[in-house]
Amino acid sequence: MSTYRRLAVGMGMNPNATIPEIADEYVRRTQEKPIPPVMVDATDAPCKENILLGDDANLFHLPGPMVHEGDGGRYLATWHFVVAKDPDTRAINWGMYRIMVFDEKTMVGPVLPFSDMGKMFHGKHVPRNEPMPFAVVLAADPLSSIASCAPSQIPEDQLAGMLHGEPVELVKCETCDLEVPAHAEIIIEGEIHPSVSILEAPFGEYTGYRTSPRDPRTVYRIKAITHRNNPMIMVSNPGIPTDENQLLRSFSLGLEMRKLLESQGIPITGVYMMPESTHHMVVVGVKHAYSGIASQIANLAFGSKLGPWFHMIVVVDDKTDIYNKDEVIHALSTKCHPIRGIRKYENDIGTPLNPYASPEERKMGVGAKVLFDCLFPLDWPTSDLPLKVAFSTNYPKDIQEKVLSNWENYGYKN
Amino acid sequence: MAREYDTFVLEDPASVPEDQELELVVRELTPDDRRYKYRSFYAKALISKSESKYSDILKVRLGRGQLLDTPWSIELIKEVSKF
Ligand SMILES: Cc1cc2nc3c(=O)[nH]c(=O)nc-3n(C[C@H](O)[C@H](O)[C@H](O)COP(=O)(O)O)c2cc1C
Ligand SMILES: [Mn+2]
Repeated sequence: MSTYRRLAVGMGMNPNATIPEIADEYVRRTQEKPIPPVMVDATDAPCKENILLGDDANLFHLPGPMVHEGDGGRYLATWHFVVAKDPDTRAINWGMYRIMVFDEKTMVGPVLPFSDMGKMFHGKHVPRNEPMPFAVVLAADPLSSIASCAPSQIPEDQLAGMLHGEPVELVKCETCDLEVPAHAEIIIEGEIHPSVSILEAPFGEYTGYRTSPRDPRTVYRIKAITHRNNPMIMVSNPGIPTDENQLLRSFSLGLEMRKLLESQGIPITGVYMMPESTHHMVVVGVKHAYSGIASQIANLAFGSKLGPWFHMIVVVDDKTDIYNKDEVIHALSTKCHPIRGIRKYENDIGTPLNPYASPEERKMGVGAKVLFDCLFPLDWPTSDLPLKVAFSTNYPKDIQEKVLSNWENYGYKN
Repeated sequence: MAREYDTFVLEDPASVPEDQELELVVRELTPDDRRYKYRSFYAKALISKSESKYSDILKVRLGRGQLLDTPWSIELIKEVSKF
């Protein structure tokens, strides 16, 4: 799923759909009424074709890969999701949180404290010293996986239904009060330990580096494995851009940001999170309706649920094509004042995965943010406003047409 | 045949004490059943930076997975369960 073409196919769209077309479709589907899941019997659930309990539930009977030479262990779960329920509200969460195999019965991974499952686990289970039931879904359908790594507020089982346009089918777990996609390949059930943590990482991460330190992380103790006959696992192999981590997360981060900014009535023309930036840099196009609009955009986006995951916002005007890297770089390098156009946010939220952060900052999840405001100030007199010079704007239409139609006759290639 | 393990050394390798009981996480590199390769466990063990001092080989990786050129050696005393 590392190209827009495959994303379009996953969304059931024409493979040649443009990025704005796929984006509009995602925004449309995810703003309709939530579609709750439906329950099916175990007899209708392929993920129950084999049920392994007790000693038979052994993680080394699954082919967890050593994804990159030098990783801290075999990462069984890299394109999957973890199902959990809030112990008080019973709200369902699906989240993609990477998991490494430790021994036959033990897995370990980072559940960052600001993630939805992190808030349940670190905020509720740990203080109460209560284990947290989980189910890892290995290899679900593409849209359920996309839902589980999208920073949306909608419970992901419903979000997946919205993306599909129909309810997802769930089935009860064997050992706990959780439900999992009936058509998944493999399910691993168990409990997250409330007090023991063990060493996890390093791992080749979505930033294109091995960055986050080997540290004590969250421990999953397993009780059951259920799977289809001849099951498959899905693996994401993160590295330098562009792979599915970067492309799909950029896609949903950018579009959740678009919905947030639109919900506040800001006259944006679009939001594009660049996959090549490993979802660290986002370009926002806006009608320069009032002074301070770029700061308003940055404050909202950095202050939202998306904040931990990116740190650069480039705000351009409504004439700039946000999908065109050349135009964005031109705007950034000509219109952003090196001092007044840059706004820094120090001591902000971050993650242990940020290559730019110091080792101490990584441990504490501290980051920094920056806004690049590429809008000319509104109070500059019109006659002093730099005027863009381009073939399309500075020549009469008839001359443009004449030149274009004669281009090859002049001896140039099209 | 000597068995092989590896471990991650997060501090300066020069500061790791030799010939005294330590607790560390090691990974199996030569399990009897190859499906168990990289099985991890906490162990009490003695280690030496000499490859030949103890019965088993200990390969050493730094914090971001960089493998040191020369292995150390290890004597496992016991596996420690955290549960
Ligand atoms: C392949 C992949 C691995 C990820 N691993 C982690 C992880 O280990 N820990 C984490 O907190 N977030 C991880 N994320 C990010 C979360 O999936 C993402 O923040 C998602 O929105 C979490 O859902 P939540 O909003 O329900 O917490 C990963 C994302 C991807 C695509
Ligand atoms: Mn969630």
